Amino acid sequence: MLKIVAKRVMTTVPVMFLVTLLVFSLLYLSPGDPAVLFAGDQATPEQIAQIRSRMGLDQPFHIQFGTWLWNLAHGDLGVSLVSNVPVTNLIAQRLEPTLSLTILTLLWSVSVAVPLAVLAAAKRGSAVDRIVMLLGVAGFSVPVFVFAYCSSYILAIELQWLPIQGYTPLSKGIWPWLRSLILPAFALGTGYVALISRIGRAALVEILQQDYIRTAKAKGANAQRVLFRHALKNAAVPMVTIVGLGVGLLIGGAVVTESVFAIPGIGRLTADAILRRDYPVIQGVVLLFSLSYMVINLVIDLIYPFFDPRIKY
Amino acid sequence: MTEHTPRFLETPAVATPLPDILEERTPRPGLLGVIQRNLSVSIGLAGIAIILFIGICAPWLGTVDPLAINPALRTRPPSAEHFFGTDALGRDLWSRVLYGTRVSLTVGFSVAALATGIGVLLGVMAGYIRASEGVIMRAMDAVMSIPSILLAIALVALIRPSVSNVIFAITVAEIPRVARLVRSVVISLRELAWVEAGVVSGSKSTQIILRHILPNAAAPIIVQATYICASAMIIEATLSFIGAGTPASIPSWGNIMAEGRSLWQVKPLIVLIPAAFLSATVLAVNVVGDGLRDALDSRLVKDI
Repeated sequence: MLKIVAKRVMTTVPVMFLVTLLVFSLLYLSPGDPAVLFAGDQATPEQIAQIRSRMGLDQPFHIQFGTWLWNLAHGDLGVSLVSNVPVTNLIAQRLEPTLSLTILTLLWSVSVAVPLAVLAAAKRGSAVDRIVMLLGVAGFSVPVFVFAYCSSYILAIELQWLPIQGYTPLSKGIWPWLRSLILPAFALGTGYVALISRIGRAALVEILQQDYIRTAKAKGANAQRVLFRHALKNAAVPMVTIVGLGVGLLIGGAVVTESVFAIPGIGRLTADAILRRDYPVIQGVVLLFSLSYMVINLVIDLIYPFFDPRIKY
Repeated sequence: MTEHTPRFLETPAVATPLPDILEERTPRPGLLGVIQRNLSVSIGLAGIAIILFIGICAPWLGTVDPLAINPALRTRPPSAEHFFGTDALGRDLWSRVLYGTRVSLTVGFSVAALATGIGVLLGVMAGYIRASEGVIMRAMDAVMSIPSILLAIALVALIRPSVSNVIFAITVAEIPRVARLVRSVVISLRELAWVEAGVVSGSKSTQIILRHILPNAAAPIIVQATYICASAMIIEATLSFIGAGTPASIPSWGNIMAEGRSLWQVKPLIVLIPAAFLSATVLAVNVVGDGLRDALDSRLVKDI
């Protein structure tokens, strides 16, 4: 088992390498000479050349890439061009809001989407099913920031139940923390709910037509037992898969949601870095998000046998 | 005939032509037939047609110069002259939103066409030329490992924000979805009898791909292309919204919303109107995609 897990992990290594190469090339190909930016307006050409050689920018591509990878392995993502602070520090400072937001969103979305999918599939063709399907398409068609503005207009501006913007750290207490995250998590999760309920419904509908479901019914198992014990268990694999793939949606959405609600997280860091052309920060964030996305999906791959013993690695 | 003959025996010498039911039920083949039979596809297409009309005819729909600033008329509510009111610089929101239609449609359709074209090429190569499979698919995996909005953001941040660069960036991010799909379809078709017959009869590879494989892969590719069109429009709006997309000199739904943000609490319409247009357009495209997927329901389409 351990050997097989190791093998599966090893297959993602080349892809991870390609991702780092891609992300590095982004910075390498970026317009503007980092040495010039770093040196400032008053620098003489000699000083710029000096900085360039100190930063290793006069080296060929593969050497620069190698150095960058080596530094990356040591947790060094370079220094922000704007604030001169190491990128890893910037990211670490902003980890809490983003983690809080994404985990909360993940929790509420999955706990709403799975029952919706079950309900729609069990009563296929009913009004409930149609509504779920309609929400599925609509939730997919409305961008995150539109949900964000609409919900904040109703709940924060008109009704004044929730704060319009900002983030309260967890250390200030659970309730203020939760209150500051309700709107963002709602906005961020809507598209995700649409995605999961839609895929979940499709998977369940297909499974409910299988022979073993008919057998279970013929045996006299009641409808609920068939639905939950026999069908839902087998729909777990496609559902878990889409939960993992949907994390990409959450990551992209976090950038937008954090900007709308002024949450000082990594998403906001990304948006600010783009506006200021702060390439090392953009690079670091893209790398961080991509690697976490890959790791999440790798872990999901590895837990498949837990849901479906037929899958063996 | 006598009075006692039961009516059903009154068979005429020549059979009356059957009512036209059979004729009508024969489904029209191809894409046109699918559209005809499927209500949601027609509704979606009608929605897209309206948006296309608005985009093309924007100059003749009571619009003024969308960039004309009028400081005397800032943030006016909707009126007879300004159907949607004016924004923070006194620009006519109706004109801006109507012209913004062009950006979304251009980006959506261009990305769908480009990503599909390049994706099909790569997918066919990976599926048909076994030697190239590993390299192409690992590269696709790597691109897919970066969430598409994030990749588009990073690419546009590197190059200058402009409509064509936005199209380029979103295309790069969307290509793997097509390439993966096409490869899996090609692999499953490759082994089928009629393709092998083609090989045996000495057809060239290009001929087999063009005549036998691609026509059969068309349905899932078209469905995927509609989804890419929808997602490209959302990504464009998102990029413009965070300031990394369409430059401010070209009104797009995303940057109208971005500029309306500061006034959000007092003048929500500036954000809500473009948001409604964007959502309606994306919804129309998605409805067409869903309808086509259900109508063309085959094993190949289901995997999307």
